[in-house]
Amino acid sequence: MTEDLIVSGRMNHLIDPVLEVWEWQIPSYLFLGGLAAGILFFAGLTWLRGKEAEHPAAVRRAPLVVPFLLIFGLLFLFLDLKHKLYFWRLYLTLKMAAPMSWGAWVLLLITPLSFIWAALYIRDMIPQWDWRFDFLKRLEHFFNQNKKYLAWSMVLLSLVLGIYTGILFSAFNGRPLWNTSILGPLFLVSGMSGGAAVVVMLSRSHAERHYFARVDLLMIAIELVLIIHMFMGFLSSTQTQIDAARLFLGGDYTAPFWIFVVGLGLLMPAILEIMEMRNRKIPWIAAPILVLFGGIMLRFIIAFAGQESHWIL
Amino acid sequence: MEKDRSRKYWNPYFGGVMLGLVLLAANFVAGRGLGSSGAVKSAVVAAVESIAPAHADASPVYKEFSESHQGHPMKSWLVFEMVGVLVGAFLSGAWAGRLKFRVEHSPKITSRRRLIFAGLGGIFFGLGSQLGRGCTSGAALSGMAVLSLGGFITMIFIFGTAFALAYFFRKLWI
Repeated sequence: MTEDLIVSGRMNHLIDPVLEVWEWQIPSYLFLGGLAAGILFFAGLTWLRGKEAEHPAAVRRAPLVVPFLLIFGLLFLFLDLKHKLYFWRLYLTLKMAAPMSWGAWVLLLITPLSFIWAALYIRDMIPQWDWRFDFLKRLEHFFNQNKKYLAWSMVLLSLVLGIYTGILFSAFNGRPLWNTSILGPLFLVSGMSGGAAVVVMLSRSHAERHYFARVDLLMIAIELVLIIHMFMGFLSSTQTQIDAARLFLGGDYTAPFWIFVVGLGLLMPAILEIMEMRNRKIPWIAAPILVLFGGIMLRFIIAFAGQESHWIL
Repeated sequence: MEKDRSRKYWNPYFGGVMLGLVLLAANFVAGRGLGSSGAVKSAVVAAVESIAPAHADASPVYKEFSESHQGHPMKSWLVFEMVGVLVGAFLSGAWAGRLKFRVEHSPKITSRRRLIFAGLGGIFFGLGSQLGRGCTSGAALSGMAVLSLGGFITMIFIFGTAFALAYFFRKLWI
């Protein structure tokens, strides 16, 4: 038996010249996962800060969406697998250096957490809801008593989940565009921006909408800074990374990236949010929809452009 | 204060000069004039090419389009210009406090009637833009700006026909 020693992702089959492996499933999942992380982060944090009464949409309503986001996200992730029936093998090992391992375990923890949090607030959606069995009532009581730990785990795990959606790309050194540590924070912040947008969409109070629009504005500003730094990093790096950046600076992805992600997904909602804060009458649904649209486009474009970026000079 | 702003419009002559400057800027920046029906055509061609590629290959209309346009049909200046038009119009409406869902029509007709006739008019205009190789923006405005004879003829006939037929359709408006 010959043994292969893998020293680089490039040794994988199908890496050079361009990768054509990931289709819509992975970017869709990354979007849903990031969004779920953003919503859970704000839900946990807002509850811990004791602001449940002020921001009910963040703590109570938005998290009700998360189980569905995660169910579809995980379904997409599953659809992407080549050997679908072996997915459980991810749970026979924990590799600290492998982002996929981190992701698999974090999802295993955060998915039930999101179900529990949603279950605690299910009466907001269905007022006459009744847990049929006594042990479920006891469980509800138990979790209500230990909500502090629940909220803390949600905040911490959602940060891991949000960063992991970006690290999944950046740890893959087979593609120069993905091989930047900025992707972790960028996807985390983008997911948080999406989470704040969902809160704005679901909120019924003017004050809460304004507060989360401001939060979103901050996230957008951080995202812009990260994007600028990502390109600065690429352009001062090796020729392959300069070539990767050129996909967005004159190459095939220039128009979609700068128009859909930066223009429509970041600048436009920022302008609308600023205008709204200055009391212009604006349909408040417009900015969050654009933010979510930008979030989807960012993941699709990074996924597709990344597969096209290569090491061959 | 807000209400005043939403009812305050630019002087139409000033608006016309500004539109001319936009056209000048487009020619300077993109090397192309303005247009709008072309973007719709790109969308139609892209849709047909992806849903019924066999039909697109057989039809001379789509064939001619793909021969004269390189790359994906949606990757054209007019498509992006239209995205910009939507964004700009939305921002301008937001700025003036005019963003509301409503159908603007004469008080003497219903919204439904207005929408049906708007649809009919749109169909005729789309048809006409294909016959005239462009609409008011692409053929008339941008064409006249570069002294194209076709542009002048298109402009004369668009407005001439409207003037001639206005009497018959006046009840839709007044």
